[in-house]
Amino acid sequence: MNPVALITGAGNGIGRAVAHRLAAAGMTVVIADYDLAAAEQVRGEIIQERGRAEALSVDVTVAREVKALVTDVEQRFGRIDALANIAGGSFYTKRIEDFSWREWKQVIDVNLKGTFLMCREVAPIMQRQKSGRIVNTASNYAVTGSALRTPYAAAKAGIIAFTKSLALELAADGVLANTVAPGPTDTPRVMEKESVEARRRRWGPNIPLGRTAVPQDIAEMYYFLTTPESAAITGQTFHVNGGVVMP
Amino acid sequence: MRLKDKVAVVTGGAQGIGRAVALGMGREGAKVVVADLQAETAQGTVNELQAGSAEALAAEVDVADEASVKRLAQGVFDRLGRVDILVNGAGIYYPKASVVELSEQDWDRTLNINLGGNFFCCREFVPGMRAQKSGRIISLASGIAHYGMKQFAHYAASKAAVIGFVKSLARELAADAITVNAVCPGSTNTSMPRQHRSEEEVMARLRSTPLPHVLEPEDIAGPILFLASDAAAYITGQCYNINCGSYMF
Repeated sequence: MNPVALITGAGNGIGRAVAHRLAAAGMTVVIADYDLAAAEQVRGEIIQERGRAEALSVDVTVAREVKALVTDVEQRFGRIDALANIAGGSFYTKRIEDFSWREWKQVIDVNLKGTFLMCREVAPIMQRQKSGRIVNTASNYAVTGSALRTPYAAAKAGIIAFTKSLALELAADGVLANTVAPGPTDTPRVMEKESVEARRRRWGPNIPLGRTAVPQDIAEMYYFLTTPESAAITGQTFHVNGGVVMP
Repeated sequence: MRLKDKVAVVTGGAQGIGRAVALGMGREGAKVVVADLQAETAQGTVNELQAGSAEALAAEVDVADEASVKRLAQGVFDRLGRVDILVNGAGIYYPKASVVELSEQDWDRTLNINLGGNFFCCREFVPGMRAQKSGRIISLASGIAHYGMKQFAHYAASKAAVIGFVKSLARELAADAITVNAVCPGSTNTSMPRQHRSEEEVMARLRSTPLPHVLEPEDIAGPILFLASDAAAYITGQCYNINCGSYMF
């Protein structure tokens, strides 16, 4: 039986790259995304590469959808070895006084509440297995802050503290929880808003390694955090960012 | 094999974490230079590497001695022609002394080996990495750098300094695609903690972490192998904790 990985936000960007990476390592990947068509597209790509994949839809902010997703995965595969919570985003760049409560709450919920709801459903399964890896997603902005992204930075910092607490709760059962904090990464959603040239001008001088990340750069860290090589690591935050911050 | 045909120099490679790193590098296909003050023990690691059909050689070095490090670098370049990976593992932990009782000599010795060793080794091996526009440097820091430890202020200071050194060097070398990172192990099952604690105390401490897992040298070597591999090309200036959840900052 191949290990099973459940990945949210896997229809695109970093999530998609993680799905490809874990599938290439022999895991059965469940591609969960708000956009089912995108999830199915990624499933098709992985199957073409002779990987094992399923595509399912989920809105991570809706508790009953999360529960239904996790129940479905458990019924199909009987176990969940890795959970990567990648669904998220900043959605808006605007001043604090221009944020409506609804917009604020949307950003907090997709990032932080979604991570909570997913972990709440999956953790008991991993505790019963006495093994499991949870990898949550923060951002360099969780430690530096970002003007015009107040709810996003708050949510991502929240994910770091949430994950540390979760790690302490789950450690006795051999379940590990860590956070990956990607730096600026060229995902389709980001590249829609900004030309390659503008992006290079904005970031180039600020990133010691001189380039923004591609999703594959980040995916390697998620993979590492599912392997035996990271068996002694829990509650930690892994910045993968070309040196843009060195906390 | 993630490190096939790479040349790796591991200081402090004779025993403990350094030995586990050297053996891991060999398993991943690297040619390994096991550099240590204890040449005979280093040869033991080399024998193990060769038994696993890895290419390896032992070298005697005192990382706190500029001339000794220069000889090491010259010897490695003469015999292997290049260095792709430098792991700064050589370090000392003892003596235990409160700050008011610590001698200047012991302060200097700790700083010279733990911090000065990083400086000398990086200074000698960086030019070759710059010329080839690639390289990986990984330094062993310690959880004590973040957490502090009574009667080990000198050790904590030296390891915290290593982290500052690593971040600065990462910025200096990034343009040449050389990454520089540190790892901070928690208390690990090696001879080091046994220098000042009984066997029972050591094991009790190792078993007191949130994760029910005794931290072994191999647990530290794994993340170092990852940082040395192509998979970690976008990671620089970072300091990663490996401590079974004993602290998280």
